Amino acid sequence: MLKLISPVPVFCSAAIFAAALPAFANQYTIFVGNLAFIYIILTLGLNLLLGYTGLLAFVNAALFGIGAYATAIARTKFGIPYGFALPLGGLAALAVGVVVALPALRLTGLYLALASISFAQFAVWVFAHWDPVTGGPTGIRMAAVAYGFSGSWETVHYYVSLAICIASVVVTSNILRSRVGRSFVAIRESEVAAEGLAIDLTRTKTTAYGLSALYAGIAGGLFAPILTLVVPESYDLFQVIVQFAMVVVGGLGSIAGAIFGAVGLIGVQEALRATKELQEIAFGGMILLTVLFLPSGLAGLLRKYLPEWREPLRRRGDDR
Amino acid sequence: MLPFLLTSGLTTGALYAMVAIGLVLVYRSTGHINFSHGELFMLGGFFAYSLIMFAGLPYVVALFLAVILSFLLGVISDRLVYRPLIKAPGLTMVLATVGFSYLLKGIGRYFWGGKGEYLSIPAIVDPAPIFINDIPILPQQLIVLGAAVAFMVAFALFFSRTKAGKIMQATSENPTASYLVGIRVENVYTWTWGVGAAVAGAAAVLMTPLTLITPDIGATLLIKAFAATILGGLGSMTGAVVGGFAVGLIEQLASGYIDTSLQEIAAFLVIMVVLVFRPAGLFGVYGQRRA
Repeated sequence: MLKLISPVPVFCSAAIFAAALPAFANQYTIFVGNLAFIYIILTLGLNLLLGYTGLLAFVNAALFGIGAYATAIARTKFGIPYGFALPLGGLAALAVGVVVALPALRLTGLYLALASISFAQFAVWVFAHWDPVTGGPTGIRMAAVAYGFSGSWETVHYYVSLAICIASVVVTSNILRSRVGRSFVAIRESEVAAEGLAIDLTRTKTTAYGLSALYAGIAGGLFAPILTLVVPESYDLFQVIVQFAMVVVGGLGSIAGAIFGAVGLIGVQEALRATKELQEIAFGGMILLTVLFLPSGLAGLLRKYLPEWREPLRRRGDDR
Repeated sequence: MLPFLLTSGLTTGALYAMVAIGLVLVYRSTGHINFSHGELFMLGGFFAYSLIMFAGLPYVVALFLAVILSFLLGVISDRLVYRPLIKAPGLTMVLATVGFSYLLKGIGRYFWGGKGEYLSIPAIVDPAPIFINDIPILPQQLIVLGAAVAFMVAFALFFSRTKAGKIMQATSENPTASYLVGIRVENVYTWTWGVGAAVAGAAAVLMTPLTLITPDIGATLLIKAFAATILGGLGSMTGAVVGGFAVGLIEQLASGYIDTSLQEIAAFLVIMVVLVFRPAGLFGVYGQRRA
């Protein structure tokens, strides 16, 4: 018998609700919904790295930026239509992600964290200083996407983001059921044991970095047009914190958690949009409180109160 | 130009060395990097700013009070973040301290941000430069340099000569054995976090008259201190000092002779080059790292 309270039916109803939303929502709700889809993609990507493979890297905000910049540059400088510029953004982030991963493969734990946080800072510096390409501190301004449908382009963009978001959820859950996904988790649990099972550490970790970068790049490509402006500040260390908070509050190593975390925290960010300091306090505080009191995040609560809820490959020992 | 670059390189280097000492102190005894260390520096500077500008206290008194407040902040970090997670894996601890750093940054911005964003406190001495062999030197630079060296010497003596210092060293060497000989290891950790924060606070108060202090300074400074510790070898106190001065000098020389914009990313380049070619740094042993 099909259980109603289990990931697939709940996810399908959420997707139907999201698809119906523009019919009775205003422009602002559509904007926030669009943002939520983008952050779900980002959080899924970061979760592959942080939650499933156990690699502590701060690079995803920078890769998100690279995806956004690559899409914007492809459109404004080369006149490439958005349908091609978006995947180009994803590929650019993938390429940079893999190149950055190569030296990072030698590093573990704290060394990886230190190297990647400085890479994040460096990327923002490049965005702000490489004037001929990135437009420097003023960034790149671009026209709205001409989708060729009637109605506002924001609504069409909303559906594009929704479709890609649904695709990422499905792809992620399939990857996690595959040999590759199981290898990620094996590495998280023990690198030595994983090697003992003939898992190629270098290749598997590079795959994790690459996939995560691809998600971040595509999210960047979707994010670039909704503000019609790409500026360095959007991709600084605060962006890292926002993404970390989504992964941690939602629950490390959980797809449902990534969705709850992204949607919930986009709500918090919008509520506090006017004041940077309150956003910092809220996001920093939420990470700290979740780590201290709810280490498995919202997904952990879900598993505790809905024993029917099954998700593969969650972190063991997280549920207290 | 060279003497000018050298003096300013040594001064900023002394600052980086002091921040790096705090990082290494906590790392050596607990095996964790405190990602909120830069924010402890930032708040130390703001405490001094408020004490001088609003309470009207003299600089030296404000220095001591700000150091004490920073110490208390370090103790709070220990109780709030470190102790509850003492048995948690390294990844959890990094996430917790990163979250804590933004909490502190937000608090800093809430109370001290928006006042022109950049705050400074007047120097204790005549701000006009003095000339030694035609090299302009700011008196405050000499004070920073002197005070930083004094702090470092005091630290070295503290670790090698005092009982408290030896207890700290013993704890970092082997916590279990320290328990067995009757050392209260948790209390040692509390002191370590406090002292680490106090050094950062002292560095901030010394530096603020020269540079400026903003709510965002923490992250920048943390990266420079990382560069110093990684160059020196993560976990080595001598390495942190040498690395701090080296990063300060590299930054100034690179900005003076190659391109000014390099000043901002010199630290990043140092981290990358060291991690790729010599992960152990100058004074560390990579195999013995505690990650």
